[in-house]
Amino acid sequence: MPDTSTKIILKDNNTAISSDGVTYIINPYDEWYALIRALELKETGIASDVHLITVGKADVEPIIRKGLALGGDEAIRIDAAANDPYEIASYIAEYAKTVGYDLILCGKESIDYNNGVTGVMIAELLDADYIGFASSIQIEGNTAIANREIEGGEETDSCSLPVVIACQKGVAEARIPNMRGIMAARTRPLKVVTPTTVAAVAAILSYEMPPAKAGIKLVDPDSMDELVELLHSEAKVI
Amino acid sequence: MIRETAAESIFIPEEWNEEQLMIAETCTNFLAQHITPNLNRIDEQEEGLMAHLMEEAGNLGLLGISVPEEYGGFGKDFKTSMLVTEKLGAGHSFSVAFSAHTGIGTLPILYYGNDEQKQKYIPKLASGEWKGAYCLTEPGAGSDANSGKARARLSEDGKHYLINGQKMWITNAGFADVFTVFAKIDNDDNLSAFIVEKDFEGLSLNTEEHKMGIKGSSTRQVFFNDCKVPVENLLSERQNGFKIAVNILNLGRIKLGGGTVGASKDVISLAIKYANEREQFGRPISKYGAIRYKLAQQAIRTYASEAAIYRASQNMEEATDTLVESGMDEIKAKLKGTEQYAIEAAIIKVHASETLDYVVDEGVQIYGGMGFSAEAPMDRAYRDSRINRIFEGTNEINRMLTVDMMLKRAMKGELDLMGPAQKVAGELMSIPDFGGAEEDGLFTKEKKYIAGFKKAILMVAGAAVQKLMTQLGKEQEVLMNLADMLIELYVSESLQLRVEKLVGIKGEDACKEQLDIMRVYIYEAAERILKSGKEALNSFAEGDELRMMLMGLRRFTKTEDFNTTQARRNIASKLIAENKYCF
Amino acid sequence: MSVLVLVEHTEGIIKKKNFEAVQYASQIAKQSGTTVTAVVLGNASATEMENLGEYGAQKVLHVADPRLDELHARAYAKALITAAEKEGSKVIITLHDINGRAVAPRTAIKLKAGLVAGALSYPDTTKGFVIKKAVFSGKAFAFVNVLSDIKVITLMPNSFQVNKEDGKATVEKLDVNFDEKDFGIKVKQVNKVSGEISLADAELVVSGGRGMKGPENWGLIEDLAKELGAATACSRPVADSHWRPHHEHVGQTGGTIRPNLYIAVGISGAIQHLAGVNGSKTIVVINKDPEAPFFKAANYGVVGDAMEVLPKLTAAVKKYKASHK
Repeated sequence: MPDTSTKIILKDNNTAISSDGVTYIINPYDEWYALIRALELKETGIASDVHLITVGKADVEPIIRKGLALGGDEAIRIDAAANDPYEIASYIAEYAKTVGYDLILCGKESIDYNNGVTGVMIAELLDADYIGFASSIQIEGNTAIANREIEGGEETDSCSLPVVIACQKGVAEARIPNMRGIMAARTRPLKVVTPTTVAAVAAILSYEMPPAKAGIKLVDPDSMDELVELLHSEAKVI
Repeated sequence: MIRETAAESIFIPEEWNEEQLMIAETCTNFLAQHITPNLNRIDEQEEGLMAHLMEEAGNLGLLGISVPEEYGGFGKDFKTSMLVTEKLGAGHSFSVAFSAHTGIGTLPILYYGNDEQKQKYIPKLASGEWKGAYCLTEPGAGSDANSGKARARLSEDGKHYLINGQKMWITNAGFADVFTVFAKIDNDDNLSAFIVEKDFEGLSLNTEEHKMGIKGSSTRQVFFNDCKVPVENLLSERQNGFKIAVNILNLGRIKLGGGTVGASKDVISLAIKYANEREQFGRPISKYGAIRYKLAQQAIRTYASEAAIYRASQNMEEATDTLVESGMDEIKAKLKGTEQYAIEAAIIKVHASETLDYVVDEGVQIYGGMGFSAEAPMDRAYRDSRINRIFEGTNEINRMLTVDMMLKRAMKGELDLMGPAQKVAGELMSIPDFGGAEEDGLFTKEKKYIAGFKKAILMVAGAAVQKLMTQLGKEQEVLMNLADMLIELYVSESLQLRVEKLVGIKGEDACKEQLDIMRVYIYEAAERILKSGKEALNSFAEGDELRMMLMGLRRFTKTEDFNTTQARRNIASKLIAENKYCF
Repeated sequence: MSVLVLVEHTEGIIKKKNFEAVQYASQIAKQSGTTVTAVVLGNASATEMENLGEYGAQKVLHVADPRLDELHARAYAKALITAAEKEGSKVIITLHDINGRAVAPRTAIKLKAGLVAGALSYPDTTKGFVIKKAVFSGKAFAFVNVLSDIKVITLMPNSFQVNKEDGKATVEKLDVNFDEKDFGIKVKQVNKVSGEISLADAELVVSGGRGMKGPENWGLIEDLAKELGAATACSRPVADSHWRPHHEHVGQTGGTIRPNLYIAVGISGAIQHLAGVNGSKTIVVINKDPEAPFFKAANYGVVGDAMEVLPKLTAAVKKYKASHK
């Protein structure tokens, strides 16, 4: 997806987002937290292999290879141009069933469509549990123990594998691929898989840019009473 | 100089492969995570910090890019190591520490060491466990390196060399573990090189120098008082030191070019962002022509420097590969291949360092009052840039070397200058060729101009050699003039070829600003070549001959006028819209 | 074919954002000539459930199993689906909060339904079933058309007006056949940050950045927050430097919030931070640098030193509250 500082420009009569000059990256939640935690689990001998799965066309391969450079064992690209979580989840679950993963880690949401639902859908399709907004993950034998965010605090949950866990800050620290990893990335497999097409259940018709903000009203630091009054009577927020 | 080069044969930065881009990203991420947030601490020379950062770079494998795999490196090609140098070039003091370590700190041993020496030192230097430094300069021996007073004599038992002397301006000295030290043995005429470890008896350091810039780089005097160096640590043969130094410098020069281009791009991006945010008279200052001019000029010069750098890097790599294929030993091939392009390396060192100085100077100006503030980035950028015109051979030395090397090659017969020079002289007598039906390609004009520049140089150089003969070496002003002409030619041609190749890949529509960059640069280069040529001719020619050559010079540097202001506005608009250096 | 809406309770009390969901459901119901059925799980009070009628719910299906007081997404989804099948619902609504985001997607998969996550508008039925939502961390909006027969929507809290009217909902018991799998997640420990207003729910937020200079100065922020009844938040560098707990970090890689009022103190306003808060109704920026980019995204601004402005603002709020009792 476009990197965090990309300016969004609409094209084709507002039905698409322009990709001119856009730098595409792995979803930060997936890369910094989910992937690194997976690699840590492998480094401590808990996990045997780390696979990276993405749904996309051939142009995403260079981006995904960064995951191999960080240490993933194998990458799988499910060949489809899908945007809807239902489709994406269906394709990933279809492939996952052929392997039988013990643990599926994903980011809490993607920074492009901000849905945060793909992981849940995968869990449902695999008849597995799901823990969202996790800030730490431990694996003990066949049990996953995760701290997850709840309203007004945090909760520690445990459940048996297999499980899908969506990661956010705290799960791991982002890493920079080193030279060894970058050179190894070339030799690690990147499989391409053709999925069974799923009928679309939702589609984006068009986009819109947010309205320009009305000019800012500056208030003198010595007139805080005035600010409070404005917030009450004009903005109506207090 | 004499031949034409085909655009397809040069390498342009737009051609990096996936792996190289990943490596570049690792460098950029490394700076963002470890260097940029710590620039103040680095400049304060916080104890242990620079050494620690070098180790972090080592952990990522960045210190061993060009080191062969058998010594723990990654054996990557030269272009890749140039890319790393460029990307880390935006790292201020760290960039200098890195370059000193991987270049002069490691290469003398890598290229001239015997197997034992390489096995002992290279793996630890490649991993960052040990840090490297290089001791050539002395208080009384800078540009005139061979006049150094450091001496080495054999100990009584014949087991050690005892080195006495004082070295100055030694980068990384404060934390280096291994030094390559140059000294003359007994009454030798020429320097020898030695590998000295920091714990050898008799080595001591002075305190850190207080510098204008790169304050975070450790710079110290190193004292040798009967410093005991085992005889096995003599590097290469006795009296081979100068040759070692010169060969390593060839690489150092082009690498400096890469680093300064990386720094330039970073400074330009900062300047654009600032110009887009800072408002005066109700608008962001990026809307004003005076500012747009500066942004465009910064980009034009940087893009041009970059074209020359990667063209020459590829040339060096190809020359090396050809020699290896013909059976030459890899290291020897590397040194010979690099040497073939020593002139280009010197040109690049001058051009790129002066480009960076321009970029940071206008960077300060764009930032206005904040440009002068130590709280904003331009102050550091400005101060850190200045050393680039001084070290790795001053720009004056490099200019003179450019001409000197070229003339030497001509005299050795490696470069046929006199033939074409005479041809050009002959051309002056005849009626100018107004050209028949010219195919009006996208680059026809620029190729013609560049051909003209070559003729201009051949004419002036040929006349200078003829008139001044052996005195030419003493007429430094003429040498400088000739050097400036050569630099502008090489960079102009490299730029033209780069844009031609790019258009071939992406199509004219996607390269509009690059075409503008090329046209503006070459237009200005022509004026600079004319000025330098005139100055040279006026200093050694006279009468009819002078008049004829001046006429020829004007003809050879004539270009068509066009709206350079509009062209610069186009370039600036793109930079402003992208909010960063984007070419 | 009533419109179904999942209503959550916290220790028996139903929070305001749920009323928004019921109201939203009620609009859709009116549009398609049907009624609203709310689904409540676990131990909610009868009065609370009946009062959902004030926001447009005609009926409440109550699954009284006490295990449902905690989130068990598979059980919740099962309950919701059971209700949907009973009612023949074509539209199912939950909130776009932590619980809703764990339940709605399961429901969507089971019912082969399209899902709009984070709805910001009522469905436009002229072109199908089109709902607006924010994308690219709030930098743009997308119009999503749901193509399937059944539609699942999660609603962005604090995006719709709530109007109370008279009305009472009838509460019916709903039995659901749960199995062990539905309660597969065991809760080992709960750490509630007691007394503080949860950031996700807060309507008023006071947030601090590096301009606060250090954690020792946060008392000024907390004072203002207390006076306003606001939650506290912070920017990424503050969380990374461990001046504040990481759950307070709002921004592209932290939390996204949409309070009515976001007061940003000593935060420059980088794009990544704005992504977390640009859905706020009103933004007030306090910063001593008049060139700070955040001012461009703000409704009100104060150029001044946070250490001086904050106490003045807190005093002004206190004064205002006293005179408006």
